[in-house]
Amino acid sequence: MKMALKIWRYDPLAGERALREYEVDAPDWATLLDVLDIVKDKHDGSLAYRKSCRMMICGSCGMRMDGAAVLACKTRMYDIAESGHVPVISAMGNMPIVKDLVVDMQPFWGKIRSVEPWLQPGYSDPGEKEYVVSQEEMDVIHKESLCIMCGCCVSECNSMEADPDFLGPAALAKGMRFVGDARDQATVERLQSYSSEHGIWDCTRCYFCQERCPKGVDPRDAIAKLGAEAVHAGIDSDMGAKHAKWFVTSAKTTGWLRETELVPKTQGVVKSLKEVKFALGLLKHGKVPPPVPPHVAKHVDESRALYDLVKQQERGGADGIVQSEKALAHLALDTDEERDPYGEDSFPRPLPIEKDGE
Amino acid sequence: MDAVHDVVVVGAGCAGMRAAIEAYDAGADVAMVSKIHPVRSHSGAAEGGINAALGNASEDDPEKHAFDTVKGSDYLGDQDAIEILCNEAPGDVYQLESWGAVFSRTPDGRIAQRPFGAAGEPRTAYAADITGHVLIHVLYEQVMKRDIKTYEEFFAWKLVIDDDRCQGVIAWDLINGGLTSIGAKTVILATGGAGRLYTGTTNAYACTGDGMAMALSAGVALKDMEMMQFHPTTLAPTGVLITEGCRGEGAYLLNKDGERFLVRYAPNAMELASRDVISRAEQTEIDQGRGVEGNVLLDLRHLGAEKIVERLHGTRELSMTFAGVDPIYEPIPVRPGAHYHMGGVDTDVWGQTGLEGLYAAGEVACVSVHGANRLGGNALMETITYGKRVGRHASEWALTHTTVDVPASVEADAERELKELLDRSEGERPWQIRDELAETMHENFGVFRREEQMQRQGEIVQGLRERYENVVVEDKGPVFNSDLTQALELGYLLDLADCMVVSGLARKESRGAHARPHDFPDRDDVNFLRHTVVTWEDDAPKLDWKPVTMTKWQPQERKY
Repeated sequence: MKMALKIWRYDPLAGERALREYEVDAPDWATLLDVLDIVKDKHDGSLAYRKSCRMMICGSCGMRMDGAAVLACKTRMYDIAESGHVPVISAMGNMPIVKDLVVDMQPFWGKIRSVEPWLQPGYSDPGEKEYVVSQEEMDVIHKESLCIMCGCCVSECNSMEADPDFLGPAALAKGMRFVGDARDQATVERLQSYSSEHGIWDCTRCYFCQERCPKGVDPRDAIAKLGAEAVHAGIDSDMGAKHAKWFVTSAKTTGWLRETELVPKTQGVVKSLKEVKFALGLLKHGKVPPPVPPHVAKHVDESRALYDLVKQQERGGADGIVQSEKALAHLALDTDEERDPYGEDSFPRPLPIEKDGE
Repeated sequence: MDAVHDVVVVGAGCAGMRAAIEAYDAGADVAMVSKIHPVRSHSGAAEGGINAALGNASEDDPEKHAFDTVKGSDYLGDQDAIEILCNEAPGDVYQLESWGAVFSRTPDGRIAQRPFGAAGEPRTAYAADITGHVLIHVLYEQVMKRDIKTYEEFFAWKLVIDDDRCQGVIAWDLINGGLTSIGAKTVILATGGAGRLYTGTTNAYACTGDGMAMALSAGVALKDMEMMQFHPTTLAPTGVLITEGCRGEGAYLLNKDGERFLVRYAPNAMELASRDVISRAEQTEIDQGRGVEGNVLLDLRHLGAEKIVERLHGTRELSMTFAGVDPIYEPIPVRPGAHYHMGGVDTDVWGQTGLEGLYAAGEVACVSVHGANRLGGNALMETITYGKRVGRHASEWALTHTTVDVPASVEADAERELKELLDRSEGERPWQIRDELAETMHENFGVFRREEQMQRQGEIVQGLRERYENVVVEDKGPVFNSDLTQALELGYLLDLADCMVVSGLARKESRGAHARPHDFPDRDDVNFLRHTVVTWEDDAPKLDWKPVTMTKWQPQERKY
């Protein structure tokens, strides 16, 4: 069928960008990568993009379709072409463009390296046998180990757009892969390092990384887990950590966020004195509730019960995060309990085996 | 000479990185040259697992592993090489684990092992169904830890031969353009396979046999090139891999009647027979009209949602994306696809080729561990064990020899050849030749082979080679010129196809992956219990033979 694309080309020698439209004949099963291949073969041999495995595991073909990061090999084109929409393909964001859809990933790898992404087990030679570690302990880093380093999350990261030095979702998820590893003995040092400037607490929680990760790594959850682990380990001097802690305190005492106290609790009293004028302005316009008397939410019992439940279960650090639990459930159990594998819309049960002479 | 190192590793998949790590730890100045970033390498697409007699799931020992491998190879594997692999495998897996590999675990916290085809014991250690992915990342972590120099996105094009020694490589810098000559005391080829010779292949676009072809044109011998493994479970239309781990976990193969047809081909092992046996069974079912639209069905439904989600999560993702089938509820349509080259650069058990200073490890090499048919889970193991051994030997040699020379004439010749290609503006672009090559190889040199088809394929390859002489690269620019590198890759593939056809015609028997049911249906140990060896002379492949090394096991009839 006919499939059309617009591609943002970039010629590095001339320094010129141009949006070009292509229409090709492609098989119904074609992916975005297949369509790019046809464009390159039959229309313009100079089109540049990376590719290799075409089965969602090598991480080469991250790019943007209509402004959102995708893996080209995972993106089926049939429905898009059928609808008549002509998608715009461009290079990933937050990384310099080398040519057309190819970006310079050196800054990306630099950040990965900076989290010391190798196991620090506290021994140098392997023992006689393997390190004994349960499946449950391994499961903690299941999602982070799925990462293929395609860069889709980094492409979409709003924090990195504002602060190019932000470690970013891929590097932090890689960090969580080691913090969560029962064999790693450098947890505290890692958490200290990841908690510094441009680290864990600089994430704005926009969840774009989570939404656009093609492999279900859920980088924002990984960052949340790192934050929880850091606070649990007493590494909480960063304003972000204090900010998060005050959310918890507010929730368990009054059931909602006491914003007036949030600033001094986060920034410290001295620093927040500088903000008094601004705060009074907000107060005057009814943007903040008066701090006294503390306003207690009607159903504060519920938030206290939730707090106590997590506490009773002795779930500290990342284990206490309720949000990512839901995400995990979403990924693992996205099945249809009602559907019968041997029902009318499927293939019949296999026949029993009949062996010759038996 | 733009740079010089003790050891240069070409290719940075599991074998290449393992070799580089070993050479680095031995004190050598080592660098990797790879046309794609190391973690993009196709080792990462290995799914099912890695074989080592750890004995975590049953009583097992390296000798059993070795016997299964010898038998699986249809007795064409070199038994000394196989014994080394199986003996060193457990220690090498523990090493990977100590580096942080995220293996799946037994209830008592050991590395879990699952049954695999043609293995007498559950011997395949795994990380769900993304074992290769886990290993490539753990190796790259160790590369980063050591800060091993990597020429990333440098396309290795020619080996530098001087004084009858390999002394480096000449590579094209993909990002900036231009040739770079990198001198080395030893060069290790670790460039993987050549699955792109076929239309239906599990292999990545990068698997174009670069190392084999570079070695061939440097006068080095290739061995057992006719031995291309067809994996029984690949997805239509392009051949995306569905792991043998599915059958290891208990999946069935069905024909259109719902029959577990393997009962007629391998009544004991059933779905866990060896890959060559199952691929032939499937092809027979399909050819005789018992397939479903050119496929058979891989049925996982009885395994249940929980097991599928936990251990075969990647398989489910692939089936849903590329076949629109959720294996919890429907069988997956699968068929045989080109998967793994047992053949490759002829090496000894330290990875040394016939050319001093040149080594090979992993799929590019033919040690030969796999003979005429590789067992699932043995490829990853070979990359690790032989990557390590080759890294060790190549670094020892490099550290005891001093001089490196890349003669200016070699650089000038390469520049001239490249300029000639880029300056050509009249002629055919490569893609049509590439597609015709892959389609005809599939048709004429596939699961089953006929004399006349192989002969015809030889003529077809000849015709394509002539057309390739006038191939045109449309992109003339220096930056990320994949049009150029793809043209060079096609040249490699054409050379290798020639070698395969010549070897296939010479082997007048059926053994492992080389099946000739119409004229030579049986194995012929009297005449063909030996390796084919091909060298390149006068612009054509020249065939020779080499004995198989036997230690403990005499050939027996092979039944599953």
